[in-house]
Amino acid sequence: MRITQGTFSFLPDLTDAQIRAQVDYALRQGWAPSVEFTDDPHPRNTYWEMWGLPMFEVQDAAAVLYEINACRKAYPDRYIRVNAFDATRGFESVRLSFLVNRPPREPRFELIRTEGPGRSVRYSLRTVRENEGAPE
Amino acid sequence: MSTATAETGKRQARGRYDAGVLKYREMGYWQPDYVPRDTDVIALFRITPQEGVEPEEAAAAVAGESSTATWTVVWTDRLTACDAYRAKAYRVDPVPNTGPGTRTEQQYFAYIAYELDLFEEGSIANLTASIIGNVFGFKPLKALRLEDMRIPVAYVKTFQGPATGIVVERERLDKFGRPLLGATTKPKLGLSGRNYGRVVYEALKGGLDFVKDDENINSQPFMHWRDRFLFVMEAVNRASAATGEVKGHYLNVTAATMEDMYERAEFAKELGSVIVMIDLVIGYTAIQSMAKWARRNDMILHLHRAGHSTYTRQKNHGIAFRVISKWMRLAGVDHIHAGTVVGKLEGDPAVIAGIYDTLREPFTPANLGHGLFFDQDWAGMRKVMPVASGGIHAGQMHQLISYLGEDVVLQFGGGTIGHPHGIEAGAQANRVALEAIIQARNEGVDIWNEGPEVLEKAARWCTPLRAALETWRDVTFDYTSTDTVDFVPTATPAS
Amino acid sequence: MNTASNPPAVAPSTPSVDLQAMLAETHVSDVIEQLDNDLIGLAPVKQRVREIAAFLLVAKARAQVGIESEQPSMHMCFTGNPGTGKTTVAVRMADILQRLGWVRRNTVVTVTRDDLVGQYIGHTAPKTREVLKRAMGGVLFIDEAYYLYRPENERDYGQESIEILLQAMEANRNDLVVILAGYKDRMETFFRANAGIHSRIAHHIEFSDFSAEELLQIAELMAERMHYRFDAESLETMRNYIERRIHQPNFANARSIRNALDRARLRQANRLFARAMKGARASVEELTLIASEDLLSSRVFQMKEADSGSG
Repeated sequence: MRITQGTFSFLPDLTDAQIRAQVDYALRQGWAPSVEFTDDPHPRNTYWEMWGLPMFEVQDAAAVLYEINACRKAYPDRYIRVNAFDATRGFESVRLSFLVNRPPREPRFELIRTEGPGRSVRYSLRTVRENEGAPE
Repeated sequence: MSTATAETGKRQARGRYDAGVLKYREMGYWQPDYVPRDTDVIALFRITPQEGVEPEEAAAAVAGESSTATWTVVWTDRLTACDAYRAKAYRVDPVPNTGPGTRTEQQYFAYIAYELDLFEEGSIANLTASIIGNVFGFKPLKALRLEDMRIPVAYVKTFQGPATGIVVERERLDKFGRPLLGATTKPKLGLSGRNYGRVVYEALKGGLDFVKDDENINSQPFMHWRDRFLFVMEAVNRASAATGEVKGHYLNVTAATMEDMYERAEFAKELGSVIVMIDLVIGYTAIQSMAKWARRNDMILHLHRAGHSTYTRQKNHGIAFRVISKWMRLAGVDHIHAGTVVGKLEGDPAVIAGIYDTLREPFTPANLGHGLFFDQDWAGMRKVMPVASGGIHAGQMHQLISYLGEDVVLQFGGGTIGHPHGIEAGAQANRVALEAIIQARNEGVDIWNEGPEVLEKAARWCTPLRAALETWRDVTFDYTSTDTVDFVPTATPAS
Repeated sequence: MNTASNPPAVAPSTPSVDLQAMLAETHVSDVIEQLDNDLIGLAPVKQRVREIAAFLLVAKARAQVGIESEQPSMHMCFTGNPGTGKTTVAVRMADILQRLGWVRRNTVVTVTRDDLVGQYIGHTAPKTREVLKRAMGGVLFIDEAYYLYRPENERDYGQESIEILLQAMEANRNDLVVILAGYKDRMETFFRANAGIHSRIAHHIEFSDFSAEELLQIAELMAERMHYRFDAESLETMRNYIERRIHQPNFANARSIRNALDRARLRQANRLFARAMKGARASVEELTLIASEDLLSSRVFQMKEADSGSG
């Protein structure tokens, strides 16, 4: 299943040149790019692993691509995303976030329903990876 | 009647408080030398006086009627610090392009300052009861419009403000760097809960972030509210599982009583919805109650501005929508419909820019070209996400983003559900168009001019987008706006 | 109306490039001219810089008309003794590289071993990567680069840094130009042990020591920039000073001259101040003059001939 998180997930996967252009944009805005990776793309999994600290000192997108490639080499089978942080007052948050790597086989999500009185239902999602069946 | 003409301050108290009727300007409501204090609430009215009524007298009358005055002198004023409580009209300017030689009768901008102690803390109901309470029906005026207000920081800080705000909404949804996408379920009325949920599922799975109840979907014979909530939340969660994204549906909890609204909101929460919706017609107090409920329950609060055009659209009478926007930011909603510029509903580009700034900026400087008369400091109050909806489609994506920026929800109702290949394809077309334009903009492409090529290029690999562009290519709503700004920046003519 | 004169108009059958126009457009000549004016001597270095600029210009022209060739390596090695102008030339080189489009900005990040190599296991890679990232898009200048390699200690983390640098020099040639700098003989030893790095250095520039005459000119230029001057007597003393200083330990070419001038300024100020305490006023001439006595009290003149190590 192709998950569609991130700013550009409905476009064909970005090429390195396209990634570089987006990072350049972030740097022009004065945002600090960072690289994160995970094997669990559950929508509530906010804290992906950080591949180093946000790059506050970097002036050129090549430096970010350098880290992206190092991360891809270390974790070719994980999701990797680039975030750009804006420290401006009133934002102080992520301003751009997009995927730069997907595992060769993406997991899917199982929808678990817990039924309650009055037809009400509580929903939860469970990440299901390759070679893993549904729970009993 | 007194014949005194001197300024209030110099007048003998005895003459001022003699029984009888005085002109408002003589009762102290016209003070051209008054310098507003930082803590004053300031209102700017557009006034059209009756024949023979001086503009200063009309302004003083508005000041009087919206604060302490009544039609006659009352001795009980003297039991109070009435000089402080009186609103002060301190400036009157003729409105450009009105009066003799124009097609519009003479209008004036009246600036009126109100002492902060006139208002109860954190109450839009109290603020509006004064500012728009009696005065709009006042006979010496032909028409009256509240154009803008300056809310002092001291008063801003007594309001909760948006329950969630733009930044936290994005963090909860995990969606950054692009406008959010929505659609209103169509047809507005008549679908059963089961059919309704189908529309929601298709649109969310196709790529929208939100689907929305329309303003008049409450609990009707064809679909009672619990049914709607249950089917919709099944659709929302299925779509989330199918995409790995957080999805939402604005469940309209508008109802006859507060008790009903709380009951519906609680049920939405129980089902795991991230957002609920209310209509402007429920009233300011109900809106503030729901904002507090939303803050307590980690819920995004969407406001549909149902009914506003009855008083915001005409330029000479009513309330400008920028004022409603200010009130709603104070009242604490997270989303508000605020115009599209390019769609089917009223929206002059300069007016809309002023409204969007009012909702989204930490500080809005005065900008007459955008209809903003005052600097407005929001003192860290959270930001409201404007919602653009009504007659917009994927082919306008570059214009929408150029006008509205990226902190906005773009709602394509017909533009999703009316897609020739179905709802999912319609949603996909919108999402691809959106991402392609944002990508191009970030890469430095001039999207205002080259947007159509960017969309055409994306349409080469995205069939649904191609179909959308072909279907709606020539659809525009090109009518003159009625609510426009009065100050148009003009280029200095070269000599 | 055709008023074309020289060269005769010939319909070009193949695409051609106007190198002169390119040169003018990029203002590279300005940088070279500046280099000529700002730096005394260094004729061979200036010649090498001109050659490299020409090579880069032609490479750019070739790319423009679509001649396929591999992106040329731009990494360089500047060898020479301290104070011979390596850093200054690196800054100009960054200008040239940027104007010709081989780097995106003309920044020079200057580092030494301590910036690249950590003291504990696991520290070196992040430090080196951090430096590389800061420098990307411009020039990375590694001074005394041979300290990266310490053969006497086989667990030295310098080797780790060298490997990361090597990878970046290869994989990120479009993003980064590395200039290694240091004494000639020690760089040669370093390259013998690190053939990988050596093979990736395209341009070697050797900075020779300045002659005494050049150093005197440098002294005059430096004084002028600081709004000081010599008179006939003090200039002679300066010449005398330079000839002695060259043969003393820790001589660092232009840098030693600058230090000598700084000390002379201090002595001049003291001299004027002492006079002022006795009620004298100071004229503009006096305020700007480095006098002979300001130089003569230098330790250089106190040292015995035998101590100076000169023959």
